[in-house]
Amino acid sequence: MTESLGARLLRILLTQRIALLAVLIVAVVVTFFVQDAGGYLTAPYDFDYMSAALINAVPLAMLGLAELLVILSGRGGIDLSVGAIVSLAGMVFGFAYGEWGWPLWAAIILTALFGALCGALNGFLVSFIGFPALIATLATYYAYKSLAIVINDQQPISTKPIQQLFSISESVELPLFGQYVPDVPLGIFTFLLPTVVAVWVLLARTTYGRRLYAIGTNDVAGRWAGLPVRDTRFKAYVYAGLLSGLVAVVTVGQFASARPDAGVSGNGMALPAITIAVLGGVAITGGIGRVAGVVLATLLIVWLNAGILLAFVGNEGSQYQLLALGAVLIFAALLNGLTNRRYGGTS
Amino acid sequence: MNGKARVLPPPVTSQEVVLLGVIAVLWAALAVSTPAFLTAGSIQPLLVATAPVALVGVGMTIVIITGGIDVSVGGAIMVCSVLTAKALVEAEVGLGVAVLLAVAAGGVLGLVNGVLIAYGRVHAIIITFGTANLFLFLGLRIFGSGTVNGIPGTLAFFGRGTAGRTLGVPHAFLITALLTVAAWWYLRHTAGGRHFFAIGGDAQAARLAGVRVRRRVLLAYLVTGLLVGLASCFVIAQGTSTLDQSVGSGKELAVIAAVVIGGTSIMGGRGSVLGTFLGALLVQSVASGVTQLGWRSQLSDLFVGIFIIVAVGADLLRARARARRNR
Repeated sequence: MTESLGARLLRILLTQRIALLAVLIVAVVVTFFVQDAGGYLTAPYDFDYMSAALINAVPLAMLGLAELLVILSGRGGIDLSVGAIVSLAGMVFGFAYGEWGWPLWAAIILTALFGALCGALNGFLVSFIGFPALIATLATYYAYKSLAIVINDQQPISTKPIQQLFSISESVELPLFGQYVPDVPLGIFTFLLPTVVAVWVLLARTTYGRRLYAIGTNDVAGRWAGLPVRDTRFKAYVYAGLLSGLVAVVTVGQFASARPDAGVSGNGMALPAITIAVLGGVAITGGIGRVAGVVLATLLIVWLNAGILLAFVGNEGSQYQLLALGAVLIFAALLNGLTNRRYGGTS
Repeated sequence: MNGKARVLPPPVTSQEVVLLGVIAVLWAALAVSTPAFLTAGSIQPLLVATAPVALVGVGMTIVIITGGIDVSVGGAIMVCSVLTAKALVEAEVGLGVAVLLAVAAGGVLGLVNGVLIAYGRVHAIIITFGTANLFLFLGLRIFGSGTVNGIPGTLAFFGRGTAGRTLGVPHAFLITALLTVAAWWYLRHTAGGRHFFAIGGDAQAARLAGVRVRRRVLLAYLVTGLLVGLASCFVIAQGTSTLDQSVGSGKELAVIAAVVIGGTSIMGGRGSVLGTFLGALLVQSVASGVTQLGWRSQLSDLFVGIFIIVAVGADLLRARARARRNR
């Protein structure tokens, strides 16, 4: 059966989430470039600005990948507690690095392991006891959030070493050809890229990744095929906790302070992370989703948010970011639904 | 097998009895440790604070029974309360108009959720995460910058001072209790009510049995929206004359916690509004107890987390035991 060019393009846009996101990113960037040229923005929207805005992509993409792992694991997998883990693990990092004087590498490892431990509790409840993920992580969201606030009596930790950590969120000039391209935030190289590569390898190149997709698609079939279903699902939550622990370090660096409400203040960090994952084409029913989709979705949101900040003055900018996030999420979700009915799924 | 007993679930579930017991023990312990606890001055604010969570919980219970969820109620409370507060301050509307306005606004927001969820065929959690952002945006825009000040005592009827009480019971709590009982009766004793359970149990089977699934699902979110509107009046009434932008923040999780602690299954098909009512009362009692004992108020969140795990865990173990017996 032949398909007209238009129908084919539409099918590709709807079924290849990466294609759709690429088109949307171009649309967003071009829109703001045009607005900038017309003088409608309060500051220039150029490659330097876009590069600097990438600093916001670091925590967002990492938590989006954490949600990717747990949502992939199926059975309504979701993690509402990632923001609370960021708060609590951030306080642990604050103590280790800021108060007890641990070396940086040791404090980072401790924080990541602590995050993994928090994730392990989620995974244990979900995978071994049989809690619905929404409930288990709602409960631990409350618990971790509360502990983060009372652990240091509501006080942030911002001793000298913590304040100096701000350097990890600075921008650097790339070697060799750095003078021709904008400076890039250091966190992209120290945290985000290694995470992206690690999660991609985990999902696309290891047995574990194959198993995760398999149990997420159909865990009964997985069990009959002899897969360690519980163990696989448990580990997805542990990895999500581990990533949240690393985000805690990034967040402490960005604020130059270990804040007890870092991951839960305002709207919290879980909501945007889930949004990113869904926008990136991750099916909430499990088993479908790719690292590239999450990364592109992050870029879209980050560059959209950065532009909105320039298009509106003061508080209005952050308010319109909420509007954009909500509208984009609903749009992406309805699109997922439509694509499922028409073409049998997104990839 | 006794036919009638199989059709209707028991009027009061074991979870509710346990909750009632836990609340009784908690109150007794608090009464012993802090004599001031069992006084009107301490109990009345507790009941006033329970009312909005329990009231929205009625709608949330129905939504969760159908297999959905609504994480946008926090944002919706913000929109309804700021709209109503502004109407009270700037248009100087009366009690009736204010309530109608709040309920109508809540209804519109609930309708938006309901239409998107029932007809968009996307899981409710995604849609309501999206609308949560939209509602927050809307609320913040209506706020403008800063707070709404000088709210008159028009809504005092719902719970502030002596005008807001009958026989010492705050009206907000009284209204909530009445609506909870009405919803309990409706869900249990009418065909329409039981359709919600049928949808949550198996939407496909319900459709084949003649239930208008989409219309029912839309109704669940609409009712939640209407109750959010009324609850917003309670929120304004309990506060001082100032409304700030944190109103409603985190309320969605508080309501879901009350529903879950009350024994409603997040998978749908099973649940009770009485349980939710008790769950809300328990959560608020813990919060009140924590402050009365002089602990950090945020510590109550830790207990809420533990309660959720214990309540749902006990339910899971019971279900497992049941499954083993039936094998």
